[in-house]
Amino acid sequence: MTSGPARAEPSPAPSTDARYLDVAGVTKRFGATVVLKDLSIAVEQAEFVSLLGPSGCGKTTLLRLIAGLLTAELGTISVGGRDLTRVAAHRRNIGVVFQNYALFPHLTVAENVAFGLKAQRTSKPEIEQRVHEALGLVRMQSFADRSVASLSGGQQQRIAVARAIVVKPTLLLLDEPFSALDRKLRETMQIEMRHLLRNLGITSIFVTHDQDEALVMSDRIAVMSEGRIEHLGSPSEVYSRPRTLYVMEFVGQSTRVAGRVAGGSQGNLSIDTPLGRLSAPGGFAAGAAVVAGVRPEAILLGEGPEAEFNNLRANLSDVVFFGSKTTLIFAGAGPGDRILVEIARLPQSLRPGQEVAIRWRIDDTMVFPAP
Amino acid sequence: MSTFAIDTRRHPAAVRERRTWFDAKALLALPGLAFMTLAFALPVILLVSESFVGPDGLTLDGYRKVLADDYYVGIVGNSIKLALITTGTTLLLGYPAAFALARARGRLQVILFALIFLPLTVSIIVKTFGISIMMGRNGIINWLLVNLGFIERPIRLVFTEFNLYFGMVNVFLPFMILPLYSVMRMLDQRLTDAAASLGAGPVYTFAHVTLPLTMPGVIAGVSLVFSISVAAYVTPSLLIGDRFMTMSQVMAKAYLNIRDFQLGASMAVVLLTIATAIVLAASYLARAPGQSGR
Amino acid sequence: MGFCWVVLVAVLVFLFTPIVIVVAVSFSPSAIFAFPPDGFSLRWYHAIGNADSLVASVWLSAQIAFLATCTSLTLGTLCAIAVVRGLVPAGKAIATFMASPLMLPGLVLGIAFLQAARGVGLRDAYMTLLLAHIVITMPFIMRTVLASLSLFDFTMVDAARMLGYSYPMALWKVLVPNILPGFISGALFAFIASFDNYPVSIFLVDVRTKTLPIQLLNQLEMSPDPTVAAASALLILGTIVALIICDRFVGLRRMASM
Repeated sequence: MTSGPARAEPSPAPSTDARYLDVAGVTKRFGATVVLKDLSIAVEQAEFVSLLGPSGCGKTTLLRLIAGLLTAELGTISVGGRDLTRVAAHRRNIGVVFQNYALFPHLTVAENVAFGLKAQRTSKPEIEQRVHEALGLVRMQSFADRSVASLSGGQQQRIAVARAIVVKPTLLLLDEPFSALDRKLRETMQIEMRHLLRNLGITSIFVTHDQDEALVMSDRIAVMSEGRIEHLGSPSEVYSRPRTLYVMEFVGQSTRVAGRVAGGSQGNLSIDTPLGRLSAPGGFAAGAAVVAGVRPEAILLGEGPEAEFNNLRANLSDVVFFGSKTTLIFAGAGPGDRILVEIARLPQSLRPGQEVAIRWRIDDTMVFPAP
Repeated sequence: MSTFAIDTRRHPAAVRERRTWFDAKALLALPGLAFMTLAFALPVILLVSESFVGPDGLTLDGYRKVLADDYYVGIVGNSIKLALITTGTTLLLGYPAAFALARARGRLQVILFALIFLPLTVSIIVKTFGISIMMGRNGIINWLLVNLGFIERPIRLVFTEFNLYFGMVNVFLPFMILPLYSVMRMLDQRLTDAAASLGAGPVYTFAHVTLPLTMPGVIAGVSLVFSISVAAYVTPSLLIGDRFMTMSQVMAKAYLNIRDFQLGASMAVVLLTIATAIVLAASYLARAPGQSGR
Repeated sequence: MGFCWVVLVAVLVFLFTPIVIVVAVSFSPSAIFAFPPDGFSLRWYHAIGNADSLVASVWLSAQIAFLATCTSLTLGTLCAIAVVRGLVPAGKAIATFMASPLMLPGLVLGIAFLQAARGVGLRDAYMTLLLAHIVITMPFIMRTVLASLSLFDFTMVDAARMLGYSYPMALWKVLVPNILPGFISGALFAFIASFDNYPVSIFLVDVRTKTLPIQLLNQLEMSPDPTVAAASALLILGTIVALIICDRFVGLRRMASM
């Protein structure tokens, strides 16, 4: 790492791998609105963590705080053991890939990539070599002398990445970098990016509102809502064992039914719902208002043994064909509830209007306190 | 990797709330703002206050003269008359010209635009000079009038109102054309086509489609030309001088010659009020529903 | 539609006739302002060289215009950045204020400056002229720079910061190169406005310090001969050259849309 006046590297303080990026107790206000509420998150070195949530949840604010483009009222941020809370943005050595790429139109592709190296007063030959290397990593070497305006969206995106990583940042922040790309290109880029970052071993924070993207790319996902992290966990945890109702509904599809706990013992609940009695794992007091949920692909057609399955009968109201899967929508749920079943192929005999038996494993039922 | 645990530890440093310090970047505006306040706002305020101060202290004599004395009221009337004629003429000429300019394509439009723009960059002294040459007994206008049979012998045109209006229109036409043009450029030709397809004749289409949609440009051009021409100084004083006194000439005389500062200041305030009223009315009209087009 | 074209052509002829006449007169061999001129001569152009006061006033006007434009550029751009980024309260009001000298009749401004300068005891005509011209040029800068800035993607400044430049350096490296067209067109308008200004300057000049428009007028009154026409023709030429240069850099239409 070339040391220039802008980036004095302190001697590495002992930092555990597991807290390479350590955000602690961060609160951020814009005027009277509190955008981030006492938020903490720790990211491992070389980990890829997504901040997932709807617009307004604070994910971009958190990103900008980590970058140093904003300052928080409360809390600290450190990277690799170095407290960055009061360090100016341009001294943090954190790379950012912006949503609209923010490439410099008055510079060529190579000059764009060299920009950060020039800021660090890197020697010319080293700049040339590293720029060439970085362009190679994103497979854009032949574009070095082109103007930025002549590039397609996907190409610009790659240059933005090259520019951010060529300076060997300690952390890479990506703010919805694929949102402007069409679907096929997006999917290609997601895989490419993942490989690239994994090979380079760069710790990455990725902001997105697209849950599929988060599931595909992340080692862990932080599902955010209204300035708080609702669930921080691996994609499969977040999907199969969501911590809150919000997470269950935000990530993936779900069948949800509201009801009241009738009773239960030994970690099993009996829930009274408009559709009948359901069993689920969990511990809530009798009489508690709860919401039960289950993933649509976990629901099967037909009846099964009472001891293992929740069995229901419901009226099929709609069939939606998605190609590789078909979603069945059933009527009879209470207000705010829905019954969705996902199957690979629709049986010939099934028609909307029929009463159909459906079942799912008791263990697959998720239970949350009613909001 | 950790599962659900969200770390709620707080570092000791975080307990102390950090004051959001004043964003130093706001100071960027300070030098410019300070300068303009001192060099512009203050003098103007001083001027306005001067209109209230006569040789014996606070009086309204200045305003009394300007607004009540027949002579001065006539002069205010002159300025307004000048502004109205200038605005009206430039609008009548400028509207079709801007329309044609907006419809020109490619290179032609760029060239034509440059040609309309260029006279703006030529000094007003130069233009007025050229106009007074044109108005001479041997000048072009007389030559045209004689040869087209309107008159038999060259007449005196210099220092006449005709000369004045000719000059005013010449100077102010680009100011009318440019705002009109910029609005007309955005006029979607398909709208007039649609009107035609619905059976509307050219006159009807103009009245009900083109005119309403170009109205913001008309308002902008009219307010611009009116507010500048009501205050015009160079052109009237060079082309007609004392024979047609305008508010601006009175002001200049008050300060440079007779040194009646209160009169000059009062006239200035009246002028300012008229010009500002026009601009405010225009921006109000531009915001009114139905007027803003898009 | 054909009617509109006829009017456009007539308007163009109308607008250019005085200018053409002035240029033509400048080549006339005789001292009378006759048009059409009876002959061709460059004597009046040579005469310019001898008209010291004329040359001095050109130099003065150019100096003032240049210095005023540069000052306005700096002060105005900094202010515009603060306004566009929402860093100051009432940004819109501030921007309107900074651009408001354009709304006032030049005459009123001139008188206001005169009185204020007298009141403060500022007797140096050069200084007074300069300060007044900074005020005159400011609106042109504000309008064009604000328009350019509103089209500028400030995320680029963030990107430059993340790559190692402090905020001021980031502005210099990234903002300035990209709003150069707005700069140049604003600077051109401002320069012309200052150079050609009469109503403000007339109150602030003194016997020794005269800007070009005032000198031209004086000359016309005192010794009217086509030297004035020749000087004017050169001015026109200079303006055309400046416009062509700007067109190369910026594109005339883009300039005009500001």
